[in-house]
Amino acid sequence: MTAAFTLSGIAKRYPHFTLQDVSLQLPEGQIMGLVGVNGAGKTTLLRLLTGLVRADAGAVEVLGQCMPEGQVAAKREIGFASEDMRLYRGQSLHWHMELIRRIYPGWDAAYAAELVRRFDLRPQQIVAGFSHGQRVKALLLLCLARRPRLLLLDEPTTGLDPVARLEVLEALADVLRDERRSVLFSSHNTQDIEQLADSISFLHQGRLLASADKEAFLDRWRRVVCQGAGMNGVAAWPEIASARANGSLFELKVRHWEADLPARLNAAGLAVQRVDPMALEDIFVTTVRAGEPA
Amino acid sequence: MSLNVPIIRLLVAKDWQLFQKQLAAHVLGGILALCLLGHGKPWSFYFGALLLLVVMVSAACFSISTALLVERKEQTLAFVMSLPVSPFDYMVAKLAGNLLTFAVPFGVMVLGTVGVILFTPLPDGLFVYSLLLFGYILLAYSVSLAVAMSVQSEGWNTFAMIGSMVLINPVIMGLGQIEAISSTVREDAIVWSGPALLILSSEILLSLSAIAITAWVHGRKPVFH
Repeated sequence: MTAAFTLSGIAKRYPHFTLQDVSLQLPEGQIMGLVGVNGAGKTTLLRLLTGLVRADAGAVEVLGQCMPEGQVAAKREIGFASEDMRLYRGQSLHWHMELIRRIYPGWDAAYAAELVRRFDLRPQQIVAGFSHGQRVKALLLLCLARRPRLLLLDEPTTGLDPVARLEVLEALADVLRDERRSVLFSSHNTQDIEQLADSISFLHQGRLLASADKEAFLDRWRRVVCQGAGMNGVAAWPEIASARANGSLFELKVRHWEADLPARLNAAGLAVQRVDPMALEDIFVTTVRAGEPA
Repeated sequence: MSLNVPIIRLLVAKDWQLFQKQLAAHVLGGILALCLLGHGKPWSFYFGALLLLVVMVSAACFSISTALLVERKEQTLAFVMSLPVSPFDYMVAKLAGNLLTFAVPFGVMVLGTVGVILFTPLPDGLFVYSLLLFGYILLAYSVSLAVAMSVQSEGWNTFAMIGSMVLINPVIMGLGQIEAISSTVREDAIVWSGPALLILSSEILLSLSAIAITAWVHGRKPVFH
């Protein structure tokens, strides 16, 4: 298995924030969703991957290049768009497309034209007149049409209206049909990530709380509602991420679901009423509140 | 450390494209100032000299603020950093682009002023005096550029730019106090006195040092942030 990137024991310290002990790998051809609240360290992690910052400890390797030393070679095959990135206000989209075309030999003019149509953009329009959604789509177009091996997207759908968001997600879904293309995209919108990602990583307060295959993630977590006289120590079981009581009803969020759990709960005096799968957002919130690896 | 020359050339060309209209406006303003200077009347000389200084100061500040400060403020820097460039490539491209966008109006003004002084009835003694003033503008520009490349703070950058440019007034007055320079201004001959040579060479040397030190410091940075 070839890795699009590998982070090994990464630490990065700032005066008021520390990214610590992050080890993460993205196999080539996969989409990874990086979920975290604002200030979790998503942008720092993406900056490490593009060589814009140097890790205080650990090693970063992207597309076979050690970062930040190999950033020029790596960035030739990376498409990076971040929420805080802006285009030149006084220039047109066409001007930006020409600039990128001259820099990247792999620029696919036909695909760029297709994206212009799909995103309903006007190449001759000056960027200053673009809405937020048009600006995001223009940035994505500039990234996608260069046909990068690795796409790094920092909050690509933040602030988009539902229609623009759907267009962006569809375009990303198309990109993923290419098995050699890898994508890491960060978001605090778990719905987007659930829709697109093969694997999911949770980042919180500079620590990686979880990283796993999406299906395994969703299979593993359950919400269990039971009835009984009391918890009887169930909340302390290692597989229970959270437990809430409401009268004689108890809601348990289980991080490692096993088929024998209902029987064990029964033995502990809790009759299982229902077992439901959990949405990614619920899993994320529970993980963050539990404050320990999922 | 190898330079990514094709990308640097593209980034310089990008800055040139971005600012060419404003550059043309500065050159036009400068030509108007030179026309007034060469008109030969005291009032036109006064207004021409004033306009020339305004155009030069404006060209210097514009070049730095648009290529560096606005790029940071409007977050287009993040876009440039995502391209296959190293911090060293970026620094070289910014220095080259900035020097180019300043050098064009500056060169036109210097050559134009020298031409006007030498080929109109204006006294040739102004040649040395005007070069000393241009030397000071070059120094103020170089210091402002060095500060803009090294310091993120908008306040310090504005202070450096305005402060160094405003100091041209004391410089004009100070040059007038140096007998060896002021006494030859009205003569119809070019007289290079010792103090004039010392001041001009200091201005050029300090300008080059400011740029060279900035390039050396930035050349050692392995990352952008």
